Amino acid sequence: MNNLDSHKHASRGLVNPVNIQKQGRVRLDVAGLYRSPQLKQRLERRLSEYDGVVSVEANILTGRLLLRHRREFSVPEIIEAVEAELGERKKVIPATSKPAPVPLKSAIKVALSGLSSIVGSGRLPAPAFGATNAAVPAAGGGKEIQQAQAWHILGPDEVLEHLGVAIKQGLSKDEAGIRLRRYGANALTASEKRSDLSIFIEQFLNAPVALLGASAGISVFTGGMVDAMVIMGVVLINGMIGFVTERQSELAIKSLAKTGVREVTVLRDGVAQPVEVEAIVPGDILILVPGTYIAADVRLLQSHRLSVDESALTGESVPVTKNHEFVGVAETALGDRINMAYMGTHVTGGSGEGVVIATAEATELGQIQTMVGEADAPQTPMERQLEKLGTQMVYISAGVCVVVAGIGILRGFGWLEMLKSGVSLAVAAVPEGLPAVATTTLAMGIGNMRRHNVSVRHLDAVETLGSVQVFCMDKTGTLTMNRMTVVAAHSGGQPMDVVEGKFQIDGEQLEPLAREELVRLMQVMSLCSEVEISGDAENPRLEGSATEQALVHMARDSGIDVVALRKEYPIGRVRYRAEGRPYMSSLHAYGGDKHLLAVKGRPDAVLEMCSHQLIGGKRVRLNEQARAEILAENRRMAGNALRVLGAAYRELDSGRMPAKTGQLTWLGIAGMADPMRPGMDQLIQMYHRAGIKTIMITGDQAATAQAIGEQLGLSGDQPLQVLESTKLDEMDPDLLAGLAKNVQVFARVSPAHKLKIVRALQESGYVVAMTGDGINDGPALKAADIGVAMGEGGTNVAREVSDVVLEDDNLHTMRIAVRQGRTIYGNIRKMIHFMVSTNLTEIEVMLIGIAAGWGQPMNPMQLLWINLVTDIFPGLALSMEPPEPGVMDRKPRDPDEPIIAGPDLKRMLFESGTIGLGVMGAYYGGMRRYGIGPGAATLAFNTLTMSELAHAYSSRSHYKNVFGGIKLPPNKALLAAIGGMTVLQAIVSVVPGARRLLGTTPMGVTDLLIVAAGVLGPLIVNEATKPSAPPKVLEEAAARLEEAKASDKNITQEQAA
Amino acid sequence: MKGDYIITSESVTIGHPDKLCDQVSDAIVDNFLKDDPSSSIAAECAMSSGVMFISAHYTSHAKFDIQGVARDVIRDVGYTPDAFNADDCTILTSFKNHTASDYRPLDLDEMDNSEIDKVTAKHPATLFGYACDQTKALMPLPIYMAHKLAEQLDAPSVRKALPYLLPDGKAQVAIEYQGWMPKRIHSISLVTCQTDASAVDLNQLRGDMIEHVIEPVLKRHKYATDARTNIFVNPEGLVIGGGPAVHSGLTGRKTGIDSYGEFARHSGAAMSGKDPLRIDRVGAYAARYAAKNLVAAGLASECEVQLSYTVGAARPISVHVRSFGTGEIEDTELAARLDKAIDFRLGAIVRDLRLHKLPSEIEGFYRKLAVYGQVGRIDLDVPWEKTDKVEALV
Repeated sequence: MNNLDSHKHASRGLVNPVNIQKQGRVRLDVAGLYRSPQLKQRLERRLSEYDGVVSVEANILTGRLLLRHRREFSVPEIIEAVEAELGERKKVIPATSKPAPVPLKSAIKVALSGLSSIVGSGRLPAPAFGATNAAVPAAGGGKEIQQAQAWHILGPDEVLEHLGVAIKQGLSKDEAGIRLRRYGANALTASEKRSDLSIFIEQFLNAPVALLGASAGISVFTGGMVDAMVIMGVVLINGMIGFVTERQSELAIKSLAKTGVREVTVLRDGVAQPVEVEAIVPGDILILVPGTYIAADVRLLQSHRLSVDESALTGESVPVTKNHEFVGVAETALGDRINMAYMGTHVTGGSGEGVVIATAEATELGQIQTMVGEADAPQTPMERQLEKLGTQMVYISAGVCVVVAGIGILRGFGWLEMLKSGVSLAVAAVPEGLPAVATTTLAMGIGNMRRHNVSVRHLDAVETLGSVQVFCMDKTGTLTMNRMTVVAAHSGGQPMDVVEGKFQIDGEQLEPLAREELVRLMQVMSLCSEVEISGDAENPRLEGSATEQALVHMARDSGIDVVALRKEYPIGRVRYRAEGRPYMSSLHAYGGDKHLLAVKGRPDAVLEMCSHQLIGGKRVRLNEQARAEILAENRRMAGNALRVLGAAYRELDSGRMPAKTGQLTWLGIAGMADPMRPGMDQLIQMYHRAGIKTIMITGDQAATAQAIGEQLGLSGDQPLQVLESTKLDEMDPDLLAGLAKNVQVFARVSPAHKLKIVRALQESGYVVAMTGDGINDGPALKAADIGVAMGEGGTNVAREVSDVVLEDDNLHTMRIAVRQGRTIYGNIRKMIHFMVSTNLTEIEVMLIGIAAGWGQPMNPMQLLWINLVTDIFPGLALSMEPPEPGVMDRKPRDPDEPIIAGPDLKRMLFESGTIGLGVMGAYYGGMRRYGIGPGAATLAFNTLTMSELAHAYSSRSHYKNVFGGIKLPPNKALLAAIGGMTVLQAIVSVVPGARRLLGTTPMGVTDLLIVAAGVLGPLIVNEATKPSAPPKVLEEAAARLEEAKASDKNITQEQAA
Repeated sequence: MKGDYIITSESVTIGHPDKLCDQVSDAIVDNFLKDDPSSSIAAECAMSSGVMFISAHYTSHAKFDIQGVARDVIRDVGYTPDAFNADDCTILTSFKNHTASDYRPLDLDEMDNSEIDKVTAKHPATLFGYACDQTKALMPLPIYMAHKLAEQLDAPSVRKALPYLLPDGKAQVAIEYQGWMPKRIHSISLVTCQTDASAVDLNQLRGDMIEHVIEPVLKRHKYATDARTNIFVNPEGLVIGGGPAVHSGLTGRKTGIDSYGEFARHSGAAMSGKDPLRIDRVGAYAARYAAKNLVAAGLASECEVQLSYTVGAARPISVHVRSFGTGEIEDTELAARLDKAIDFRLGAIVRDLRLHKLPSEIEGFYRKLAVYGQVGRIDLDVPWEKTDKVEALV
């Protein structure tokens, strides 16, 4: 451990040891690794080249690196090596083979990791441009380069003069327009929009199409002009499909960037007004208030206790206090330029104004991004897996092609023919569309979720959504209404509940106005109150404390006209609550010469001053038992986490406030709480069924949190575990990680400590989703695997760093998002399952046919037909499968589990094998009837086509689903695809021209029976060997699915309303 | 010679982590019973540096802020904020409310004989009670003295005079017996914790302890040391800092202190944190009650009462008395008289000693028992220390 101690970093460095578990293993926290697959790849590759390193594993979900090494390595050496790799990273400009739009967040992340390495190593970039004041128009009508200056060494006035803008006035609208044209939009992701043409052309610039082209060329040379045209036609159709889907996903991805911060407040023409982030120009004056996202680099003109969170820029989590009066020198480091504020940071406190000195690429953030170069949109983990799978398939099919061609030539088939067969088989066997289709499906999912008011801000978030294991939720405003409401009362010696403004005793509703003590209670509580009522009678506006407002609402709900009451009993002298006097008393003159002394406050203190109580409209002396009962009720309410207030009154003859309050008549207690949002308990249950742990985070005391946690059923049947701590930051992280696993409620937690909770859960290996809406939630949202921002109530910052935005602030929609995430992942798996097994069948059939000396069971044209026509549509349709029943009754998938695991591969081999046997059976039958040739091939071709269509249907579930078994919700797209393809197959089988092209012959009844047998046989075998799910579970799940659908509808209707 | 031996017993102060846990557990019991005498509770507690863990399973209609109660207890103990801060220590709770499924209203006072018969033990248990005439509380001398010393360490006057003391301390007393009778104080040992090293040195501490703790206790109870009595003060040196920051605590780890200081047999089960319908708690009270009344009645100068309960029966399956040869009558006869004089059925014990009602009448009834012993508390006027069965026994 000495190694560790001797490694002294000045502050928190780029690379920090997390723990040194044992000799030879080091876990490091690496800046910038989080969600950076590129860095992961790079670090893994480069570090494993070091002598003495045994293995390197980087985790982009935790931002940590596990390095196994031989003993002679010391920890500082390792850290140095990793840092060296980090340092080099910014020099590498990745080749951009395919310029894709970069979602803003990932762009910033990439940029920031580069920046932090610069900041960390203490080398600051010199201003990139010369300090010229004259604005030189750039050649070619392009954007003009913004003047660069060391702005932090200038005073505010000089800065304003340089920029030609007046304080308190800002730019004029016209001037802003001119500058916008001159300097360009303030957008870092100046994504060159791919034209539709380029997307279209790209569809044809790939290896399979090249192969097909070669195949067509060969056909032309061998006189098969028609063949060549068919092949080219098929290529064209495929290109069109690829174009349409890719364009759609492009649009979906592009719209992601727009879900961040859209507008900020800018001073223009002397008026503070919202301006789109993109429209901000140098010289604009930004108004800074807490929560403001700083949309460009600014020199501060005004500041009042302004603090800015620059963690995005410097990695320092403590907000920096800014001061516009500071004037620096040229050498002042970025982090110390406290008279400046930078793009990408946000205001955490105070207020101020700043003039924009740089926008877009000219900002610090922009410069770094330019240095790093335009990075590709990072591949999602799934895309990477699929690419790997695709590559494996290419190797397999290439090998098979060589074997098939080789055997064919040995068996005496013609060279050219074999070449064509080989090429077409290669094309047929490669599931070239896999990664693209996966992306398309993910993008479609984003569009789907948008319709449910869920904005997904990253492509990979869709995938992660499906694997969420823990969901941390804010209590106030998310799980509860964030509105104090009277929920219980005790009056006339009887405890009562208040449900939606109605009084109840043991569930029986009662008429409050018929009980004098209750009426008086509400009157006194509305009179002796600091609530101000304004506005019209129907919809009055209340101002005052939440608890007092709740009391006035209670009176109004019961039918008491509070405004009239207050007129009748005008308020006179008032004694407010104060230290040592936990109650408020007010004197009201009424009915000419009478006076009412109204008292409201802490129940025990008020009761102390009472001599009587009102029961059934009569004043009764308070005896000890009644007092004890009232106090017990008070304790019970308080124990139920209610805020309690008691009320009492006294009628006086004189308008003088008695010196000592006493001789009061007790009226009762009202208990208030911030009630749970309706349906939240069911939602929590639903998450539990889906295997998702639920955690509530609140700043409330444990007792309040406990009560709501129990109502929500956060712990299911288990004891509810509550961790109450104001000092989470001081807790030993290992201890916290150990405890967090079993805790359902974190109480008295400040938003700043939510990050600790996320980290602790991630440390325990969970995939964590967390909600947030405040400025302080930023870091936690960012660190969470899925940061969920609340759309309506959320701040800019929360939106900016989140992965998912719930636009309607409704947690129920999160359920839809998770279900979609799981469904999409499942559908992609189904699609892969279908496509890969199809390709395997083709390989097997061709291999066996040629190896057995039975000729080619199918000609190249037929293979192409199957692969590029009849298989494509069912494959795409599979990705549109509706959620399976029970999708939310399963545990979340293990995030480390590969998309296609060993058992899946075995199953695919088995299924393709049975189908292959069916096809070969039909071919053999054809051979017996017609001999080797087109007749037999026709049977094989039709059997395979139809088998694949049947298999598409079978691929909908890994449970029995075709002949009975599980009942799946209908997938109309799939039915249409299968039906359409069947019809198409029938058409090409009868239309003579098409028959000629495909090289098929007409079929008789016997042939059709053979085909039918060849299709049904394998289907029955494949279905019979699938597991059947326990029917009961499925029925329940199906019922719940119906329920869920109905509630989705409700949600939608509510929104519509 | 037979009957010559030395016995050491110890007691700890209110701030000792184990006892702090006991107090929190019993404060929770008190608060449940205060508003609902039918409550059943199992509350356990553990603490370590800056963290407290509370587990509670309960069926009760009482509601209160359990964490708040725990913080109140910690606050009352009086640690300095840096030693253990009542307001911002982390509290992890694990509560399970079984009220909806298991609640049974229980009005023992209204029950007739056959109903009391149905209030049975939930698991087998053997409990011991002991009394002897060595002190006026009819407790063995070593534990009695140890408690007095611990109490003195916690006394407000001492805490005021010696502000450097933390509320975590331990007192041990060794008594030399000759012919089964206490003869002399063999040794007294005190271990205390202090806020910082500069407050006092070992010499001064020893002086302070003798002056403010040991001498007042000896004087008050008219005990005397002799020339050979060893007085140890912090024998292993000064202890800087104390309480949960230094050593962790757990409910029910000081059963010897709760009972007879290892002088007599005691049940291994903890007492704190359990409601009165738990036989391992109230059985111990009943056994002590029986033993004390036997000694008070002059039927023996020393005796041990053993009560054995089994599942599903209200009455003990065995009431056994040992008087160690000091009995005026046969031990079996003593047992028979006890059985006649005292109703040992679970429900009857609770009813007759008012164990479920006392918390609503006396603030912090059980919590006070969680330090300085659950038995022998003549300072608290607890029902099982009453000698009101003497007449029935004679």
